[in-house]
Amino acid sequence: MRVVLFLFVALGLHFVALAQNKQVLYGFEEVPQSLLLNPGSKVPQRMHFGIPFLSQIHINGGASGLSVYDIFGNTGEDINAKIERKIFEMKPTDFFTATQQLEVVNFGWRSKSDFYFSGGMYQEFDFISYFPKDLAILAWKGNADYLDYEFDLGELSTTGDLMTVFHFGANKQIADKLTVGLRAKIYSSMLSYRSTNNSGTFVTRLGTADSENIYEHEVRNASVTVETSGIASLSDNFSAGTLIGRAFFGGNLGVGMDVGATYDITPNWIASASILDIGAIFHSKDVETYRASGDYILDGIELIFPPLANGENTFPYYDDLEDELEREIPIDTLYNSYTQMRPLKINTSLKYQFGKTIGGSQECDCMNKGGGVEKQQSIGLQYYSIFRPKGPQMAGTLFYYRKLFKYLAAKVTYTADAYSYSNFGLGLVGDFGKFNFYVAADNLQHYGNLAKSKSVSLQLGLNIKFYEE
Amino acid sequence: MKKNLLFPILGTLLAISLFSCIKDTDFDQAHDVTATPVVELNLIHFNLVAQDFFDETTNTPRLVLTDTTEIRFLDDTETQESLIRADFDFVFTNSIPRSFQTDFTFLTVDNEETYATTTSVMEGSPDAAVVTEFTEVVEGATILQLTQADKVVVTVTIPSSDESLQGSLNLKSKTTYYLEVKERN
Repeated sequence: MRVVLFLFVALGLHFVALAQNKQVLYGFEEVPQSLLLNPGSKVPQRMHFGIPFLSQIHINGGASGLSVYDIFGNTGEDINAKIERKIFEMKPTDFFTATQQLEVVNFGWRSKSDFYFSGGMYQEFDFISYFPKDLAILAWKGNADYLDYEFDLGELSTTGDLMTVFHFGANKQIADKLTVGLRAKIYSSMLSYRSTNNSGTFVTRLGTADSENIYEHEVRNASVTVETSGIASLSDNFSAGTLIGRAFFGGNLGVGMDVGATYDITPNWIASASILDIGAIFHSKDVETYRASGDYILDGIELIFPPLANGENTFPYYDDLEDELEREIPIDTLYNSYTQMRPLKINTSLKYQFGKTIGGSQECDCMNKGGGVEKQQSIGLQYYSIFRPKGPQMAGTLFYYRKLFKYLAAKVTYTADAYSYSNFGLGLVGDFGKFNFYVAADNLQHYGNLAKSKSVSLQLGLNIKFYEE
Repeated sequence: MKKNLLFPILGTLLAISLFSCIKDTDFDQAHDVTATPVVELNLIHFNLVAQDFFDETTNTPRLVLTDTTEIRFLDDTETQESLIRADFDFVFTNSIPRSFQTDFTFLTVDNEETYATTTSVMEGSPDAAVVTEFTEVVEGATILQLTQADKVVVTVTIPSSDESLQGSLNLKSKTTYYLEVKERN
């Protein structure tokens, strides 16, 4: 019970400091890392490489239905009253997420055959936990006021991953109006756990006259599974060296790919789409799965009053009860390999560009062989979806892009998603000589007080870019 | 086009850090987080018949029946820290034409008595069982005595018995635990 409480408070504390939509960066072609969001985006530069460890720093955290301010706001109201109200207000489909990415290496170049090849490595941490409402109520209020209420154990749904991703992709304009791209990925999992597809109920009800005792505490059709990979060995013997070894193909490996395309419908209307992380990680090393399943009705301890000689012990009722519980709802440890699908992400966009025509990469358009023109301004729509354990999470974005100066471009976004209907974002990218710097953040209206924000996303990075000579 | 790189970068970072902050919050409130669950849980139950109070092999009455069970959840650290009140409810259903005295004695692991309570059970008849309910509320300082306990001894005493005695004595019991789970130093 204390663990549940701790978890609840810890999540409450951390979610702002720490999900995965990069709506500002998507389609922002001046940023080389936009190729990671759509391998089929247009690439203006001839070559780029990221400054190691600085080329992309991404943090994204959020909690649907809850902000830090909701709990820790200095309102004078008792914190326990606030927590209680939130427990009952939030739904079991509300969630807490945190994603962090750090790019270690990123590079790309245009080949003689006009392919733009790019590759690199980044580290990613990804966590999601749905709000196990019934368990929270049970921990917070107990079962006394909830006789006959079936607490749903299936609301427990959470995953967490720490991995490195090695990737290499190719991008090519294959027709006047169409650019396509493909990226292959190798995932090297360092740590992973997953507890989804759980089920079962717990109910306390008054017994009938025939019942053994006053109550019947019943666990029915329980099936709770926690799959772990890379964790069992570390809990005995933690070593940073082991962890780093796993980052470089020493852990459980997976494969995946990204596909994407950009299509110029007319010179001014441009559509694009990408599907990211079509893939899976195959967990076979250091795998432990814990599974509790069964049915049980707890009646309490039945005393038999056996006739005993002096000094003779009675039955070990309590041990027998514990044994019975373990027999009826056994917790098995399995060592079976398992396959984990990566959370699939879909991005699509439609934009209309207008204003002054600007050369794609330089004043002369002669290298832009038959390609579409680029205009100074554009507006558009984006749709994002990520597949999570309880179904897809979606976001819709309206954006406005403007090239402010030759070396500075900006994009503002308005996004509606599970967190809120009022998320404003801003991205700036500057090309200062060969240096390319970008920063993108959302929920700007909350930067005055991040505590009131339900989610925060920030990406920034530094690259070196070369255009055609 | 050479530009000073440092300025725009620092400027942007500064702007982000200047305009972002967390305010109107008081994280010290975390120390006050207190969950107050109220838990209903079955305790012990038994079903004695009149013959249990007469030893047929020696042809003598057995006036005192006793049995012991561990209740290890009571003296674990979490319960000791969090339990503020416990309401015990005992429901006896008696169809034996005798009254009974029932003693509940709580003992530590080393069999030292920490808490005891007793109740009498009304006489019933084989045709009409009589229900006796007994509630014992433990709170305040006495709760500490209770949470030192690791086992409970139940003693059922009958004033007299013989071969022909009929009926049964049934006990059902539960406890309501009032907990206060919070950070403790």
